[in-house]
Amino acid sequence: MKNNLKSMKLIKCLIAVVIALLVPAALGGSSYLCLIASFVTIYIIGASGLDVLFGYSGQISMGHAAFYAIGGYGAGLMSKYLGIPLFISMFLAAAIAAVIGALLAFPASKLKFHFLSLATIAFGEIVYQMACHSPNKITGDFNGFFSSKLSIFGLKLDTNIKFYFFGVACVVVFLLVKQMIVKSRTGRAFVAIRENTQAAEGMGVNVRKYKIIAFAISAFFVAFAGSMYLGLVGYLHPDMYLQKQSVLFVTMMLFGGSASLAGPVIGAISIEIILEGLRTFEEYQMLIYGILLLVVIVAMPGGIVGAARDIKAGFLRRKAKKQAGKEVQ
Amino acid sequence: MKMFIQLVIMGLALGSIYSLIAMGYSLIYKASGLMTFVQGDILTIGAFLGLTFYRFLKLPYIVSVLLTMAVAFVIGFLLEKGVIRKLLNKNVMAIYIVLATIAVSYIFQNGAQAIWSSKVEYFPTVFKTDSISILGVGVQPESLLCVGASLLCMVLLHIFMTKTRVGTSMRAAAMDPMAAESCGINVSMNTGITWGLSAGIAAVAGIFIGPMYGVYVTLGAKIGTKGFAGAVMGGYGNMYGAMVGGLILGLVETFVAGYISSDFKNMFAYIILIVFLFVKPTGIFNEQAIQDV
Repeated sequence: MKNNLKSMKLIKCLIAVVIALLVPAALGGSSYLCLIASFVTIYIIGASGLDVLFGYSGQISMGHAAFYAIGGYGAGLMSKYLGIPLFISMFLAAAIAAVIGALLAFPASKLKFHFLSLATIAFGEIVYQMACHSPNKITGDFNGFFSSKLSIFGLKLDTNIKFYFFGVACVVVFLLVKQMIVKSRTGRAFVAIRENTQAAEGMGVNVRKYKIIAFAISAFFVAFAGSMYLGLVGYLHPDMYLQKQSVLFVTMMLFGGSASLAGPVIGAISIEIILEGLRTFEEYQMLIYGILLLVVIVAMPGGIVGAARDIKAGFLRRKAKKQAGKEVQ
Repeated sequence: MKMFIQLVIMGLALGSIYSLIAMGYSLIYKASGLMTFVQGDILTIGAFLGLTFYRFLKLPYIVSVLLTMAVAFVIGFLLEKGVIRKLLNKNVMAIYIVLATIAVSYIFQNGAQAIWSSKVEYFPTVFKTDSISILGVGVQPESLLCVGASLLCMVLLHIFMTKTRVGTSMRAAAMDPMAAESCGINVSMNTGITWGLSAGIAAVAGIFIGPMYGVYVTLGAKIGTKGFAGAVMGGYGNMYGAMVGGLILGLVETFVAGYISSDFKNMFAYIILIVFLFVKPTGIFNEQAIQDV
């Protein structure tokens, strides 16, 4: 039975990957739509990274745009000034972000929900200010930062379609890694901390250590997503890393449903489509987005996955009731 | 010396704005244990409302202030009743409430842009003279008004909270909701009033700051986030701590901008915020509320 379930899940994932690979054909190879699809792959990795932190270990971050920035600028600066190929510097930048995340988490791990969110907001703003007023203007400050596009060992990803396939490959790898982490001893420690910190501590889980690990992992994910953005667009601007971006990651994660494999994926896809769809309203885009967001939060907290689960549970309950009624008769 | 005095007055004016915002945070946190991200954007709305009443409708200044306060109070009250209370009743994770307040702040910010404009609107001066001299330094009278009126607000709030029936029941509801409820206090009503009051304070701050900075849609967003630094510095949840913390924040920020570099001005508030959270989260007034989240 268990094996059966496992293989069912595997088949579902494979189908999802096949669908993802067919997307460019469905979009008719349109370069613009493929660009959007590439953004979706980037956001899936970012939202999944945040999910490791919030969904599994129960820590909130409202400043993940900082790691997104560290990934983007870090990779760009290393390839520009140190001559490291962009593809390699992407991983280096993500590793640096993970170290910074761990350093931040060391004092932050004792803070509870609201105050952790304040600390991460402060961290996000500090990184934003650094990107705006960098020493020697290495980040280009408000002029933005230009970089060459991504090429992997000579294979140039110069079109959006090519990048999209690279993005899908990254998503598969990162989601596999996420799933491996979550199902491991470390992942179980995360969940224990989320459910009851004191009890976890009592069972011998080193709470601070695992909180730091969760922060580092999610920083790695988000920073890698940030460096992918640089590889795709080849341009960064400090205003991309405002608090709005951090909120976007949180929204994507929650919209789909946190602590699940599919949740952040669904969230990233649907939010990106909604935002693109609202672009036709021009200056009213964010207003409508805000209203939509509020309505969704009030109407179905728990996200799409949560709402689907509720509907399913309600259906089963009704069925059980009917059956019980029959038995009485 | 001249520059020093000027910086002190500018710092106090800015600081009193932060104080008002931070006081709203503290009131709400004490009353409902929640954190709101709308304060800053209510400040923006308040500034635009004040602009509408004072410049477009040509009402007297004091009337504009009171009207703005009343409208903002209603907005805050409805926000609590229509959104926050609904979510609390559904027993959702705290993150959804935070996200809901952020969504509301998007609506306010972009709604203000849709209703008024995305340009920087000039707020007409309140007094006839452009500057008055204090110790030989020319000062914009509006900045003195800002300091004075904010201090007046704080004193009035203090009297309201300690001497009136409504204020006392609000404090009781914040301290122990269940006990207050069993004494016949309408806790839900009181939380609503607290949110309304905080919104009213923030909106008034918007009117005070208007003549100095001009009125534009993102006016409040930055001030709102930085106000957290003031609130945490004083001790989150402590009304008096918020006043002191806000004033210190305003002074520090102005002095950094004046003597070091205006590039670091914004960063400094966040460095203060993060350092206080890591080193002394209970703030100057050693407010313990922060620990029982």
